[in-house]
Amino acid sequence: METVLSIQGLEKTFKDKQVLKGISFEVRKGEIMAILGPNGAGKSTTIRNIMGIIYPDQGEVIFHKYKDIPRHKIGYLPEERGLYKNVKVMDMLLYLADLKDYPLKKAKERALAYLEKFDLKGKENVNLEELSKGMNQKVQFISSILHEPELLILDEPFSGLDPVSQDIFKDEIRQLANQGTAILLSSHQMNLVEEICDRLFMIQQGEKVIYGSLDDVKTEYANFKCTIRGHNDLAVLEQLPQVQRVDHNPDRAILYLDRDVTPAPWLKSLPVELHIQELSIDRISLHEIFVDIANSNQSNGKVGEQHA
Amino acid sequence: MRNALKVARWEIRRNLKNKTYLIGLFITPALILLFGFLGSLMGEDAEISSSATVFINDEVGVYDALKETVDAQELDWEVQQTDLAQDQVDEALEDTEDTAYIFINQEALSEGIVPVYTSDTIYDLFTTELMVLESPLKSIQMAALGLSKEQLAKVATPIMFSEEIAGEDVDNKEATDDESGALEEDPFKQVVPGIFAGIILFSIVVAGMYIFQSASQEKKDKIAEIILSSVTPGELMQGKIIGYFVLGLLQAVVLLAFAIPVALWKTDIPIIEYLLVPETLLLVFIAVIGYLLFAALYVGIGATMADVSTAGNFQGLVLMLPFLPFIFATSVFMDPTGIVAKVGTYFPFTSPGVLLMRLTVMEEWPWVEIGIALAILVISTAVMMKLAGKIFKVGILMYGKNASLKEMWKWLRA
Repeated sequence: METVLSIQGLEKTFKDKQVLKGISFEVRKGEIMAILGPNGAGKSTTIRNIMGIIYPDQGEVIFHKYKDIPRHKIGYLPEERGLYKNVKVMDMLLYLADLKDYPLKKAKERALAYLEKFDLKGKENVNLEELSKGMNQKVQFISSILHEPELLILDEPFSGLDPVSQDIFKDEIRQLANQGTAILLSSHQMNLVEEICDRLFMIQQGEKVIYGSLDDVKTEYANFKCTIRGHNDLAVLEQLPQVQRVDHNPDRAILYLDRDVTPAPWLKSLPVELHIQELSIDRISLHEIFVDIANSNQSNGKVGEQHA
Repeated sequence: MRNALKVARWEIRRNLKNKTYLIGLFITPALILLFGFLGSLMGEDAEISSSATVFINDEVGVYDALKETVDAQELDWEVQQTDLAQDQVDEALEDTEDTAYIFINQEALSEGIVPVYTSDTIYDLFTTELMVLESPLKSIQMAALGLSKEQLAKVATPIMFSEEIAGEDVDNKEATDDESGALEEDPFKQVVPGIFAGIILFSIVVAGMYIFQSASQEKKDKIAEIILSSVTPGELMQGKIIGYFVLGLLQAVVLLAFAIPVALWKTDIPIIEYLLVPETLLLVFIAVIGYLLFAALYVGIGATMADVSTAGNFQGLVLMLPFLPFIFATSVFMDPTGIVAKVGTYFPFTSPGVLLMRLTVMEEWPWVEIGIALAILVISTAVMMKLAGKIFKVGILMYGKNASLKEMWKWLRA
């Protein structure tokens, strides 16, 4: 796939603190690339550097092999976002489209279509201050995609949305990617990221921790875990083969398995006296990887190997 | 620049669609007109009460001369002849207002004391207006002494003092005399362009204060980052400055559209003629530079504040800077060439206001001082724009708190 955005060796220091330590990644056409990390990891700083809102001390941001980012080809939904309060929805959308050099007539047609799609039909002449927070977020999202950007950068797009709106956003993001838009998104909602992203870049303290496709990352870092519902002694569970650690409750236990476990033989090796009401085996989730990273502030090693 | 113009256009449209702005746009001139109207009402009251009915008992044949003088001076007197005797005056004046009886006879002429009886209530200026009758009466008095017409003419001509400054070029002097003569005739010739530029300066500086509000509101609404994903901070800043400049000019136009017709209607000043002079251009130029200086200041400071209501002491002081010239006003008008006026001229934040005040009252413009002041103003404005740009770039993205002086200093040094 064609590379739309390439980040190479990005470094940024605020006061005496280096918040980005030479990070590099790419975003390709038609893919959803997630940038993940705990608070203060450097996600928003990376995005602001890409947008040219702040400038990196070192490194390059390359858009289609060019170092000058054409702002009108990028859609951006920042984490800290809002809109003018006392203006009408359509005026706001058309102004932002105009700043992107997008033809106004086309912008108006697309705006009306998107407003309908996002359950905001008939709200085009309503003042933004009269809309709910969720509705405002929808308008902000529309403003970021109205001009048909080649690259769409979404910083925490799902925060503050109800589940229904989250689904609408998720579907639209997926659809845009299918139409060829390169999408870079940051989010704390791992389940949503896991559902829609193709590749991910996990960052901690300004450094790369994980980078690759979701499948590869899960294969590499997300070891298997086995959840058993039943009354078993912790000592018995800890003696089971290839178990790294156990989260134990009286009637439920989660066994985190070694990286090289093959599920079928491992299941065969379980002792018959084990009390099993229910049993499931799956890979640890992105959420668990993320939490592990967030908890290991000083660690920049391979998370899957350490904790899974 | 294209993006800056887009931002400017947006700011203009946004404000023109805003009821608060529109109300403000028309309320300001409406208030000025209202006060002017109230003033003129009072003025008319004064005019109404400045008319009087004057009866003249003329025993020496001076009535026609007196009537002619009253008409020539455009006094609002209704002059009538009367045969009423002095002992009947009290009765005649009973229950009257603004009425007077003047008795002119030989005795009055020879003694130089003319008896005048007035009603209980008569306007204050009547006594002063009476003095216009002195001249024709004096002529009669002189004629009675047997003076010839030529002698009378000499006596009637007041003595003039002609001053000459040693070594001054006669032609120039004559030209100056002509100018000063013209100025004495109509001081408004110089004042009108000054007031015009003053109104422009006032309007655009007040509009400039909206920039401050706009920048800090943009931070509060957290839209700055969305806008900055399409334009550079410099373009956003320029757009705001241009947009509010146009809005300020619009305010000035509305104000003048109300004020000029009213002034033309109420006064005889040929305002348009006085405005269409090269001096107006210079005065307006000073006003525009002044606006740019304050606009840069406002946009920079606005970007350092989380909310207008949280203005600290420093920001509050900065907001008051455009009003600094008012402190100088009395001194400048009293002595436009004095040290206070000169200091005010060279200090960038007072320069536009003080310059306008000085140039309005000074007969001869100090071109060297104007040149130096303009140079200081232009350089200060350029520096201020640069500094404001540095502060705006960082400040506009700092949400939730006001920037400290230390932080601003750091941004300036970056």
